[in-house]
Amino acid sequence: MLVQQIINGLTLGSVYALIALGYTMVYGIIQLINFAHGEIYMIGAYAGIISLGLLTLLGVPPSLLPVSILVSFLAAGVVSAAYGVTVERLAYRPLRQAPRLSPLISAVGVSIFLQNFVMLSQGAGDLVFPLTFPSEGISFLDARITTLQIFILAVSVLLMAALTLFINRTRMGTAMRATSQDRVMAGLVGINVDRVIAVTFAIGSLLAAVAGVLVGVYYGLVNFSIGYVAGLKAFTAAVLGGIGSVPGAMLGGVLLGLLEALGAAYISSEYKDAFAFLVLIAVLIFRPQGLMGSADASGEKV
Amino acid sequence: MYRSLSRAVASIAFLLPALWLSGCGGKDETVITVGVAGPMTGDQSKMGQDFRNGVDLAVEEWNSRGGVLGKKIRVDVNDDQHDPKQAVALASKMVNKGVAGVIGHFNSSCSIPASDIYAKAGIPMITPASTNPKLTEKGHPTVFRVCGRDDQQGKVAADFVANVLKSKRVAVLHDKTEYGQGLADEFRKSLGTRAGVAAYEAVIQGDKDFKAVLTKVKRADPDLLYFGGVYPEAGLLVRQARELGIAAPLFSGDGTIDTKFIEIAGPAAEGTYLTFSPDPEKVPTAKAFLDAYRRKFGPHGPYSIYAYDAANILLSAIRDAGTIDGRAVSKKIHDASFRGALGEIAFDLKGDVKTAPYVVWITRGGKFEEIGSKPAH
Repeated sequence: MLVQQIINGLTLGSVYALIALGYTMVYGIIQLINFAHGEIYMIGAYAGIISLGLLTLLGVPPSLLPVSILVSFLAAGVVSAAYGVTVERLAYRPLRQAPRLSPLISAVGVSIFLQNFVMLSQGAGDLVFPLTFPSEGISFLDARITTLQIFILAVSVLLMAALTLFINRTRMGTAMRATSQDRVMAGLVGINVDRVIAVTFAIGSLLAAVAGVLVGVYYGLVNFSIGYVAGLKAFTAAVLGGIGSVPGAMLGGVLLGLLEALGAAYISSEYKDAFAFLVLIAVLIFRPQGLMGSADASGEKV
Repeated sequence: MYRSLSRAVASIAFLLPALWLSGCGGKDETVITVGVAGPMTGDQSKMGQDFRNGVDLAVEEWNSRGGVLGKKIRVDVNDDQHDPKQAVALASKMVNKGVAGVIGHFNSSCSIPASDIYAKAGIPMITPASTNPKLTEKGHPTVFRVCGRDDQQGKVAADFVANVLKSKRVAVLHDKTEYGQGLADEFRKSLGTRAGVAAYEAVIQGDKDFKAVLTKVKRADPDLLYFGGVYPEAGLLVRQARELGIAAPLFSGDGTIDTKFIEIAGPAAEGTYLTFSPDPEKVPTAKAFLDAYRRKFGPHGPYSIYAYDAANILLSAIRDAGTIDGRAVSKKIHDASFRGALGEIAFDLKGDVKTAPYVVWITRGGKFEEIGSKPAH
């Protein structure tokens, strides 16, 4: 049973990690907790469903897995990135010089707006994700891992590796690290800070969108409110790992997923959601900088 | 310019409450208002809309015959979002509006607290779907239900599990709501010692991931899963159970009988048992209703016909009482026996229907199918 719970927890945790990356990257660069990030994830899931609907109209059945997966990832990524960048441009950039509380409140407002926008435009009921993976799996040690779980883990690991390479090896990545260390100085040496911030939002949103599609396929069910709890959990994961730290968000997400699965199995399934938030409180009290965050607030954040 | 704009906004904002007051204030004496309450938005919205359609159809028929007591009938739709707090707030609102009666709510967890408010105001409440026994055990003389009770439903399920499926190790799950946990407990009680309970676990309504609890259940190696809850969770549960390699069939209650369940669960829905009342398509008296409903709204939902009969019972009782005084109307509902689309309906002293005909259904070929109390072939 332990092995099975670890598999369950890893799958869940890798999705949390993907969403948490968006929180942590944005925080690293502009010290903003982007509370609308959960909604970007939800919009990604919707964009995935809509793209599959369009695909069906064009005569491609959703059962053609490689095509439909690729199309839904692309559509979700593009739509969510557009939303992410637009939200930054409209709701956060005008407040860049304002006190830190103002963009935070703006973020909460955007979150409520997007939830209601999707509810009114797409309906309040559950949508069923029109994609099913073959239910085969590999059984070992009294546990079972499905092809879908393997796929989720693989996609998450690939994306995290790609992100790490991007941040450490590319010019834009270097610019992002520079901006996170000192925004003013980065601007002085000729980095287009606005562009760097926009790219950060785009990448964070893209990762959230992929997470949205993965979760949609995994559970088969999407509605306008899924971003709320997922966003809070991913935020917790980011804080657990150390907000601002990219490897921290990955670690935090996976740990949180494991903790939830094991807590539900060995303590109580009724209090599954409570574990995440107990962790948040405990981290804030005993290790506010998180597991991998630096105690020095001015340190490199991305 | 900013100044004048902000002033304009402020004055509009100031006017709004006045508009609202004039919109809601004062009871309109020329119409009789019937409240309908249930989850109109959110994951259970389908059930609320079925209520609304059923009541609308009944009211339309009455209005085409000239209304009741010489007045037209108006339907007041209320969305409780399957949230008990919201249900209580809406109940007070409907009382203030002076509704003649309420058809609702869907969830027992909403109906039970709301029933206190209607009872205090003496307004009749007829629920088409809340099956938790507690609702009518409170002794309110103005509370009724046209569906059965979970103790009756749990017993039918338990008898089938013990006598027909001959299960030996049952895992019981519920969603912690008044309905879900109530039904699961009634099932467990009726089952008694006829089968062992290998696991007893709760899930959270609205959650999407039940793998952790199902992994625990798998280790108990049950030959049947019983779930007290509603279709979104039931669909996810059976789907995730199959993914984990649990082959035991799912058995659930009337909260699961919705096509969304089959959509969500996909192929995993096959072979799921549930308890519900007999198929209206096989009830001769239901034909006229089903035809009219299909013409107006399309295929009927599991509780459309109950909402329709509930509205007809309320309106007939108002007609017979000759007044909209809730206590007089409730007395008429208690005394009389109605011929509805479901057949003959009469209430006992508690407000429950005298005969609650639960039968077992199965999901086969992507459809729900009544199998009575015989084994599935």
